[in-house]
Amino acid sequence: MAKPKDIDWRELEAIIDKHRGETWALIPLLQDIQETLGYIPEESIEPIAEALNLFASQVQGVISFYAGLSLKPKGKYVIRICRGTACHVKGGRSILRFMKKEVGLDEGETSPDYQFTLETVACLGACFLAPAMMVNRTYFGKLSPPKVTSILAEYGKKKGEG
Amino acid sequence: MEEISLTINGKNISCAPGTSILNAALQNGIKIPTLCHHPNLEPVGACRLCLVEDEKSGRIMASCVTPASPNMVIHTDSPTIKEHRINIIRLMMANHPESCIVCSQGNRCELRQIAAELGVGQIGLYPMPHYTGLEAANPFIIRDLSKCILCGKCIRADHELVVVGAIDYTLRGFKSRPATVHEMPLEKSDCTFCGTCVSLCPTGALSLKNTRYVGSPQNESSTICGFCGVGCSLVMGSVDGQIVEVNPSHKQDTVNRSTLCVRGHFIHDFLSVPERLTSPLVRTDGDLSPAAWDEALELVAQRLIGIRRKNGPQSIAFLGSSKCSNEENYLFQKMARVILGTNNVDNGSYGSGRTITSRINERLDAGGRVKPLAELERAEMIFVIGANPAESLPVASYYLKRASRMNGIPLMVADPRKTALVPFSSLWLPLAPNSDYAMISGLAAILYKRGSYDKDFISQFTEGFDRYGEDLSSFKLEGVSRVTGLDGELMERAADLIEGKKIAFVIGHGILQQRHGILSMDALLNLALMTGSLGGEGKGLHFLTMENNQMGAWDMGTAPDFLPGRKSLHNDLIRKNWEQNWEVKLSPDPGLNTIRMIEEAEKGNLKALYVMGENPLRSLPQPERISNALKNLEFMVVQDILATETTLMADVVLPGAAFSEKGGSFTNMEGRIQSFEQAVAPPGEAKPDWEILGLLFAKMRYPKRYSSLDKIKAEISDLVPVYSALERNEEQTWIKESSNSRLFHLQGEGEPIHFSPVIKTEPERSDEDYPLRAILGSLRYHLGSGTRTAHSVRIKDFALKGEVEISLEDSAALKLKEGDQVRISSAHGSISREVMLNPDLRPGLIFIPVAFHNNDVMNLIELTQLGEANSPGWKECRVRIQKVEDLC
Ligand code: SF4
Ligand code: SF4
Ligand code: SF4
Ligand code: FES
Ligand code: FES
Repeated sequence: MAKPKDIDWRELEAIIDKHRGETWALIPLLQDIQETLGYIPEESIEPIAEALNLFASQVQGVISFYAGLSLKPKGKYVIRICRGTACHVKGGRSILRFMKKEVGLDEGETSPDYQFTLETVACLGACFLAPAMMVNRTYFGKLSPPKVTSILAEYGKKKGEG
Repeated sequence: MEEISLTINGKNISCAPGTSILNAALQNGIKIPTLCHHPNLEPVGACRLCLVEDEKSGRIMASCVTPASPNMVIHTDSPTIKEHRINIIRLMMANHPESCIVCSQGNRCELRQIAAELGVGQIGLYPMPHYTGLEAANPFIIRDLSKCILCGKCIRADHELVVVGAIDYTLRGFKSRPATVHEMPLEKSDCTFCGTCVSLCPTGALSLKNTRYVGSPQNESSTICGFCGVGCSLVMGSVDGQIVEVNPSHKQDTVNRSTLCVRGHFIHDFLSVPERLTSPLVRTDGDLSPAAWDEALELVAQRLIGIRRKNGPQSIAFLGSSKCSNEENYLFQKMARVILGTNNVDNGSYGSGRTITSRINERLDAGGRVKPLAELERAEMIFVIGANPAESLPVASYYLKRASRMNGIPLMVADPRKTALVPFSSLWLPLAPNSDYAMISGLAAILYKRGSYDKDFISQFTEGFDRYGEDLSSFKLEGVSRVTGLDGELMERAADLIEGKKIAFVIGHGILQQRHGILSMDALLNLALMTGSLGGEGKGLHFLTMENNQMGAWDMGTAPDFLPGRKSLHNDLIRKNWEQNWEVKLSPDPGLNTIRMIEEAEKGNLKALYVMGENPLRSLPQPERISNALKNLEFMVVQDILATETTLMADVVLPGAAFSEKGGSFTNMEGRIQSFEQAVAPPGEAKPDWEILGLLFAKMRYPKRYSSLDKIKAEISDLVPVYSALERNEEQTWIKESSNSRLFHLQGEGEPIHFSPVIKTEPERSDEDYPLRAILGSLRYHLGSGTRTAHSVRIKDFALKGEVEISLEDSAALKLKEGDQVRISSAHGSISREVMLNPDLRPGLIFIPVAFHNNDVMNLIELTQLGEANSPGWKECRVRIQKVEDLC
């Protein structure tokens, strides 16, 4: 079972060191860590700040501002359901409700086995596919409950398994 | 550059290009409401309240972030604008809690004021208050972020002004708010409790935790902070004659701009504690009992005159105060010299480096003294030596951090400890204590070898460079590394950093209180001369003076070897001049300094001591020895605001007034003379020190009457050319430098400045019995020995323990862990402390903060005058540490 990786401090340090002194490189650095570890461990805020001559509070501010950056470990598959207007009109809300039941998670939650994280977003920019969602970087559109079930099955979640 | 002209509200105005519409309006007396704008902060355009309309384009824009452009026709108050503004305020109010009505900000809340001005009462919107919980565990600041309107002033104050970075926005949208890292309470963050964010917050989201009073003060008056040498401008709020609240002054041309430090903002409780002296006390039958002013003063006059008659003028000494005003120090030393005929005058700043700063007097003839801190923000490079201003003179540290972080000015820090400035520096030189002179000469030697020195400057303004160069070329760099512990590569990198630049030196107590302070000062002046880093903007020497009027007390002649104007007593011409000024014969005998006063009292030669505003029993080394020496005196007068260890020993106690209770002037570390007015009346029968001295002059039948402050100011400005501006009584003015050095002469006349010989390095001998070196230094919550700051209720509540800081290596070797009780002993005494591990400390060093536990750390060092060089050497001593359980 895929657990969040134990923090590999050496890997983390290497990423930070790569950008040492480059105050402008905060966001690329954070993305780098996010991609490597799946999240940005809280303990890395101070070392990042020190390396980039920033305040730790600034680093935290940036991490908490961007939806793509997270201080909490996330599941292997991050499901993002659109809550934008177009999707809402096309029944996005019931898709979300259905999804919550299917994966047994509320918004912002991650399953204990770190397989899935459920999130919502304002607009995925795929309104023509409404109602839409993303799993990691893949878009899925014109959703219906059966379609959601089959997508989840692709990602290894059998119907009914809580 | 050509001015831009535009119209605002029908008025034709012009402004410099780049001026925001808001500033253009303000400069022309047109008011625009704002919530997120502050003149000292970068504009962000967050609140949108400052909206204005351009008639031509119909555009509506935030005036604080929109530059004025030619021919704009702006309306700041049109019906459209008003409507927008009202809506913005309504939305803010909808987000605001109902507790608004009972908010302690009261009518000072800018949001409420603006709402009232715009006539927003009922908002007619669905309220969506934002509950965040109240944070009030620390004794300084209350945070109630439910009242936050996200103007970001606190964050910008924290980043741009004080450069601490304790807070920043977190999250976005509705949940967004200013937060500390990991959302810890302030006391667990980097927050220094400077309170600057609180002063700028336009709402009740941040407020001062008041220990005494809730609500708005009745009166506000401006004064100058009485703690450190920065001399911040304050506004003191009072209720019924008691100071209840302190804030930074609203004026723009102050040294602190809108900032303060924790001491200036929060630690003024000493002004109204029961320990304040409220009536004169006279010792009768062994006890001090209240007496009338006239009786007490008569006694002082008679005893002093009597002792002089019997034992001669050398048997009396005067210890003045670096916390008292210029006027008071002037009168004090005049009483000593003119009435009692002695030069035995000193002040509390002896221990914080007067003898060392006096080196610039000797070598530069007092040139280069006016050094505004603001120059640091325009320097080419800054070299901070032996200073931790983030703790000692916090507002000075803001300048350094801004210079580095905002202006990208390279900062080099030489300090045995990793100070709070190190993260802002380009290079840190972690040198061994007392080895600064070697490090500085080492840098000079490297530059000399590289041939990189300011040849024009040297030939124009100095003498003796050839000889100096010879010294440098034979100077052994290996020796430098041995003494300083800095390897050759680090020294080369340091030389790279200063090469070709003019240096602004910032010198702190690491040098000013060091046993090799004079050697270091000499080496430093040589380096400054060699690099042409003297005379002019953005270069030269900034001294971080610990006490707020350290400079002024010295300028006024409260020093054994200086007459007013910092003129040497040993110069016959100068002495003659003052003999004429005062119509008296002056003793040419050099007077006793603080240490020699104690020594002479020990020997029984000193019979009387007049102490004004000092507490030698707490501030000098070896308190027991001091106490025994003072017991030897026949007569001791102590004039102070608080009952102290020293007043308890006095024969007469005269109650003085604190700075907030009198007028006068202080001279800060920059050479800025700041006059201040009385904010509240002194308690009980206490009187301003100048008034007490004036009455004594009369009692001692001096013909001139000092019945008003103006008379004293007039005499000073008349006789002391450096202070000629004092009489004008301006809020602030600068000392008028006068120096015979060619460098400081506009016409280039005068003497050259001499290089001094390079002193060979010598490794310090170690001591097996005392293997560790203790550095004594300040924490920002206290000033000096802590006589005043220890009275603070907030500081008591904060429960600081003044732990000894030990490196991880030493604590492992000594099997010590955090919280252990230890005994720290030196050759002179011992103290107990709790252990705090400091991973940044280098092995072999420990740090002990001064002022805590009645400043008992003074037991560790010796009261002695170090060699002919006259350095106090109270910065560091050799100690050993034992765990208390092991001792029992
Ligand atoms: S706490 Fe005060 S200063 Fe800070 S953002 Fe909120 S309202 Fe503005
Ligand atoms: S009190 Fe000072 S250090 Fe603390 S958050 Fe406010 S501005 Fe920053
Ligand atoms: S920096 Fe010094 S003068 Fe300024 S507020 Fe703090 S103690 Fe007072
Ligand atoms: S509203 Fe759902 S993708 Fe735009
Ligand atoms: S004052 Fe201009 S937007 Fe706040």
